[in-house]
Amino acid sequence: MPIISERVEIERKPKLGGGGPGKIPHRRGFGGGDDGDYKPPQDYRSRNQRMRRYRIVMAICLFSVTVVFVVLTMLYVVRLGRGRYDLDTHQQVQDWIALKLPYLQLWINSMVLLLSSGTLELARRGMERKEEFAVMGIIPPRMRRELPWLSITLLLGFCFLGGQILVWQNLSDQGTFQAANPSRVYFYLLTGTHAVHLAGGLMALICAAVARFFAVRFESQRIAVEVTSWYWHYLAFLWFGIFALVHFARG
Amino acid sequence: MASGENRYPSLPSPQSQKQALRGPLARSGLQKNRYLFTSDHKMIGRQYFFLSLAAVLVGAWLSLLMRVHLVWPKLAIPFLGEIKPENYLGYLTMHGTLMVFFVLSTVPQNGFGTFFLPLQLGSSEMAFPRLNMAGFWTTLISFLVLLGAFFVPGGPSGAGWTQYAPLSALAASGPGQALGTDLWLISIALFCLATIMSAINFVTTTVKRRAPGMRMMRMPLTCWAWFVTAILSLLAFSVLTAAVVMLLLDRHAGTNFFVPGGLLVSGKSDPHAGGSPLLWQHLFWFFGHPEVYIAILPAMGVTSHLLSIFARKPVFGYKAMVGATIAIGALGFMVWGHHMFASGMDPHAGFAFSALTTAIAVPSAVKTFNWVGTLYGGRIRFTTPLLFSVGFVSLFITGGLTGPLLAQPALDVYLHDTYFVVAHFHLIMAMAGLFAVFSATYFWFPKMFGRMMNERMGRLHFWITLAGAYATFVPMHLLGIAGHPRRYSDLTGVQYVAAMLPLQKFVTVAAVITLAGQIVFLANLFWSMWKGPAAEANPWDCTTLEWTLPSPAPDEGFGRQHPVVNHGPYEYGVSVAENDFVRQDTPAS
Repeated sequence: MPIISERVEIERKPKLGGGGPGKIPHRRGFGGGDDGDYKPPQDYRSRNQRMRRYRIVMAICLFSVTVVFVVLTMLYVVRLGRGRYDLDTHQQVQDWIALKLPYLQLWINSMVLLLSSGTLELARRGMERKEEFAVMGIIPPRMRRELPWLSITLLLGFCFLGGQILVWQNLSDQGTFQAANPSRVYFYLLTGTHAVHLAGGLMALICAAVARFFAVRFESQRIAVEVTSWYWHYLAFLWFGIFALVHFARG
Repeated sequence: MASGENRYPSLPSPQSQKQALRGPLARSGLQKNRYLFTSDHKMIGRQYFFLSLAAVLVGAWLSLLMRVHLVWPKLAIPFLGEIKPENYLGYLTMHGTLMVFFVLSTVPQNGFGTFFLPLQLGSSEMAFPRLNMAGFWTTLISFLVLLGAFFVPGGPSGAGWTQYAPLSALAASGPGQALGTDLWLISIALFCLATIMSAINFVTTTVKRRAPGMRMMRMPLTCWAWFVTAILSLLAFSVLTAAVVMLLLDRHAGTNFFVPGGLLVSGKSDPHAGGSPLLWQHLFWFFGHPEVYIAILPAMGVTSHLLSIFARKPVFGYKAMVGATIAIGALGFMVWGHHMFASGMDPHAGFAFSALTTAIAVPSAVKTFNWVGTLYGGRIRFTTPLLFSVGFVSLFITGGLTGPLLAQPALDVYLHDTYFVVAHFHLIMAMAGLFAVFSATYFWFPKMFGRMMNERMGRLHFWITLAGAYATFVPMHLLGIAGHPRRYSDLTGVQYVAAMLPLQKFVTVAAVITLAGQIVFLANLFWSMWKGPAAEANPWDCTTLEWTLPSPAPDEGFGRQHPVVNHGPYEYGVSVAENDFVRQDTPAS
């Protein structure tokens, strides 16, 4: 036995434990978090539980994404405001050259992204409706006038990425900038990071779209679309933030 | 619900149920081998444990090489020959990286956390088993990529684990700065991804997968520590990912974030211009300081947990402990500048960083006070886990006291980059962290491997390690105060440094003895894994839920019968029936 001292009984009521006396009947659902509707945990992997878990994960991911973009924005602002330290003269030197942004292209891209956000929302709502039928065990009737919103979103997403590539090409074609110009590097960094994140969202949507050909449960498909729509709307919001930053703080 | 030891019997459950519980991969052929490709959190926890064990062995071997080289620079090592300066820098970088990332950030959080967080919360699985598995395999790939640097031309990177630019940004700046540094950066980028995956899982599991009745304020302090650490990881590793990608862009895509203009590298002028080396330091330390707490918070959680168990007393000030954990986590994000006092920062900023750093002493003191308060008046059972926990408190105080000293900009300008700093962070981060890992290993070994570790060997291991830790690192403070700089491979020509050689020799001898003492631990670990006495379900008389399961914890966890929690986690020192504790799932009276 590893225990080497005697067990001694001392008189104490079982109330001293860290975390309270524990007499209040719990009202917390297992797996469902603090929602207050605890039921015996018979089907804790049920639809809503799964959906809630994935929503939490998406919220946490967005938190992480926010940190990255906050840091990049800070870098942009600090670099713009303070310039660089010159080793020869030992002074801060302002070397930021304002970009000639292709506003028309940028606005078209923004509108495409905004539109895709809208179509994804329509796709999400359509799936929500369909699932209500699925829960009842009914094969959903083909809704009239319902367009393939998910595919349209995918198309628009690719259009946005293509448009961004055109913007970058436009900037590099301007050619008047030296390679070291920080404004271009930071523009690429911000928009590039955004595009990489958006490409991740596109991949998730592609998975959700092709899932129906691989006997994936409709529920999983719907969860994928639901959480990706959160992500997508957030990226659209971020895009306008970045656009505003490069417009108003262009030096 | 019935009470008693056999509430969660490990009866063979129907095959379908077992498969459902083992996770989604059970259906595919991938999980035929339940020890390798598994999404079971317990097996993944063990996998992390062995991964860190491999990393710590490599890291310790490198530290041995460095210590020997420092005092006998001309000595030819068998198979390696004489250690050249670039080799020394490579060992230094790899030692730091392995120990910080793959040991101290991995085993307390991902190793023990993955294994015990769901069990302590009363859940049979993490919220996302496959994500958990992806996290482990990404960590493993990252580990292999890092070790791969030993086998490429030029060897591993020599820029230190902090990878300060522009040294790390220019391939021409040293032998290991080409492919070696690329591998380092790719490895760390992968590690960041893996850690973020695992942190997401930890937060979701804590929020969503608590058993009925397991309120936040009824969670064991270990779970609190894992939860707060996961949030820190999410924030800190996101920033490091961005920084590492930016450095890779600087190296390969012609951007100029970190490299200033007008540099002459190996006689050639460098084309980069307009970057700021300070930017890297800000980004790195914005990750790097929270990283210290990512390493030490789980250790604190384990210590609080074990002191209460072996003092047979409730944790002194549970709420204060939770508050201090959160406060340390929050303050940890505001103090990164204290690593950069020597960079010529604005004195106002320096003052702010200094004041905030000193403020961390407050929650740390709350914790220390509460640990001592937990021990005071307890009926202490002097087991190996307890000894290591007390050792943690001791090392935490010794190492921690030099923290506020280093937080003074005026002092730090003198002590910066001396052995004083090395001594400080090795005591508080490395040694204290490892002591908590040791105590957790001795404590949870029965639940992880179903057998008890040998107590006698454990106590021998403790005394060797405690004496060795102090003998190694206390003299380093003196070296630092005398001005011995760190990170140099050979200072034999420098007179004032040569006078310190006897002390350096003492440190090396102490380090060798301490490392040799770890053979006792390894022997104990592997001997007990196969030959140790079989463990009971609850050998240490604990209240928390993992001890309601048989040892080792069965594959299906709690099975279909989920525990219902009615009590706090630290109800010790009460007389109920024949026990002096109340298990968390005991029905409320």
